[in-house]
Amino acid sequence: MKNSSRHIWEQPWGYREGILIAAGIGLSGLILQLFLGNIHPTLFAAPLNLIIGALFMTGLLAVYLLARKRPLGRWLTSVAATLPALALFLLLSIFLGVIPQFPSGSETALPDNLFTSLGWYRMTTSWPFVLICFYLLLILGLTTLRHTTRKQEWRDIGFYLNHLGLFIALLGGVLGSADMERLTMRVQEGQVEWRGTTATGALKELPLAIQLDSFLLEEYPPKLVVIEHESGRMLPTERPESYMFEGVGKTTDLAGYTVEILEFLPHAAIFSNDSITRVVPMLMEGATAALRVRVTPEGGAAPKEGWVSNGSYLYPHSLLRIDETRSLAMPLQEVKRYTSHVTLYTEEGHTRKSLIEVNHPVMMEEWMIYQYSYDDTMGKYSDTSVFELVRDPWLKVVYTGIFMLLAGALFLFFAGPKKSRS
Amino acid sequence: MSWDQFIYFAMGALLLWGTGAALAYGPKRKIISTLFTLGGLMLFFAFIAGLWVSLERPPLRTMGETRLWYSFFLPVAGLLTYLRWNYRWILSFTTILSAVFIMVNLLNPDIHNKVLMPALQSPWFAPHVIIYMFSYAILGAVTLIAIYYLIRGKRIKEPARIMEMTDNLVYAGTACITLGMLMGAIWAKEAWGHYWSWDPKETWAAITWIGYLIYIHYRLKRSSSNKIAMVILIIAFVMLQICWYGVNYLPSAKQSIHTYSS
Repeated sequence: MKNSSRHIWEQPWGYREGILIAAGIGLSGLILQLFLGNIHPTLFAAPLNLIIGALFMTGLLAVYLLARKRPLGRWLTSVAATLPALALFLLLSIFLGVIPQFPSGSETALPDNLFTSLGWYRMTTSWPFVLICFYLLLILGLTTLRHTTRKQEWRDIGFYLNHLGLFIALLGGVLGSADMERLTMRVQEGQVEWRGTTATGALKELPLAIQLDSFLLEEYPPKLVVIEHESGRMLPTERPESYMFEGVGKTTDLAGYTVEILEFLPHAAIFSNDSITRVVPMLMEGATAALRVRVTPEGGAAPKEGWVSNGSYLYPHSLLRIDETRSLAMPLQEVKRYTSHVTLYTEEGHTRKSLIEVNHPVMMEEWMIYQYSYDDTMGKYSDTSVFELVRDPWLKVVYTGIFMLLAGALFLFFAGPKKSRS
Repeated sequence: MSWDQFIYFAMGALLLWGTGAALAYGPKRKIISTLFTLGGLMLFFAFIAGLWVSLERPPLRTMGETRLWYSFFLPVAGLLTYLRWNYRWILSFTTILSAVFIMVNLLNPDIHNKVLMPALQSPWFAPHVIIYMFSYAILGAVTLIAIYYLIRGKRIKEPARIMEMTDNLVYAGTACITLGMLMGAIWAKEAWGHYWSWDPKETWAAITWIGYLIYIHYRLKRSSSNKIAMVILIIAFVMLQICWYGVNYLPSAKQSIHTYSS
């Protein structure tokens, strides 16, 4: 912008042209959005995504070969073209990061307002967002190609890892997004299932089957809290306190009371009628955790003693009433881990025993099998495990890009900026 | 070790860091102020380690726990910058910013809580969060430099040297947020089935990353203005704050599966 004598669109181009072109692309996207609505995800499903990818790569190479020595080609690989494009992408990403998003497959009606027309409730499939993405990919691709014509030095390794890595990861991610399949599958202990359910509720047969041999759920030790029994709110209201059981005989301060743990039954049955509550140890399905405690209020009032339990699908929870308004309660125990022991079968007759848990998916026949959920009404006695099955044929492409970027980031960290200025 | 003891460790560390920062202005300063800063870091890390042991999990889950690491890494970034670039004011800046985050933790303490949900039980958990906190600290130090630069204006003595330092720190910080973000992506694939879901936290991580990419690319142009570069850094750091905790207050946050503080 230094040479103010230069008219706009007069070569050499600078930031002004960069801003206008980026804005033009954004505006074209906006017009397409208003007339066509969001891009339908299937537009990018195979084989269309391959065609779009091939067309894009051909176009990229054509622009490079035809324009590399011309001012336009030079400009497209310049900072003046890159920054306005990045800034516009940043702006749309901020909208994406602020406005709640609606999944693109779902049928839920979007609110009737301007954001819906602009596509901002499904930003990642809106025309402006996708067009700017491709414009950035074009600049990124051209810049990478152009860089190969320079005299190469060792620093350029970092450049290629970062720029080519990002190009591969982004292009693979954009083109592959619609080919990804996600299904859920509920399996009961002892049963075999080979059908998954899509997000829209459709059933799909899979080339593999899962037999649930056993499902195990481990919980953290029980906790105690003081609640107001009118509202059920935990006390103190502004900063609720809780105490996690650490052993019999321990004493703790909890919301202004002294609580002493007298007895702990990890598996208990509770029998109660109007007058008495009996808690007995019982090792059986549906047993609940119970703690016998003594609660002493501050200021010397008489202590209260009794059982507290969080109940199960078989037994109701039981509170210990401390006074007119307050009780000691045991919330549901937090889940520590849950694991499915399964036998996997393929159509070809292969069998494999596996253990699936959160953060430890298993790969079988192109499908990653994740521990997703269980029957939470049954808690630790759930005999049902819910799996998520994910197939992403483009994952290898994206991971190639991601690992290049990881190496590029290490390079950036150790090599730092170029020293040649000043 | 629990949060109840935090105040003693924090005040001790702040005293040591403050002394180190003050000594940096005196003569024969480098070794003695480094020793004080290191002493403070050791004391502060003793608390982190003790908390780790008593919680039986890495103390990285809640906002207060991430602030703890941030308060620790700020003087680390300050010390490294001081040793490399010799600017005597940097240690006081990082100490003050660290003190701010320590105060937030003291006034708003976390509840002692051992629970680590299954999604967080992964070897990626500690490196992902620690590298992010380290990069936030470096970029925090850079932001302090940017503010210093803009306030001093024409009185800045060697602008080229300050810009060189800033570039170095931004490259290191951006490299670390790239590593943190991509580790997060690989972990997300293992835990949630997809490497990138445009979860609000992920979106803001990308926004922050793009913010620093804009700075790096802007600086490549020889005719670029130092002032604008510094303004970009401040804006990028605001984005970073939104990514770290501001995102919890946005309308989009309701859908986030990235909240663990409860």
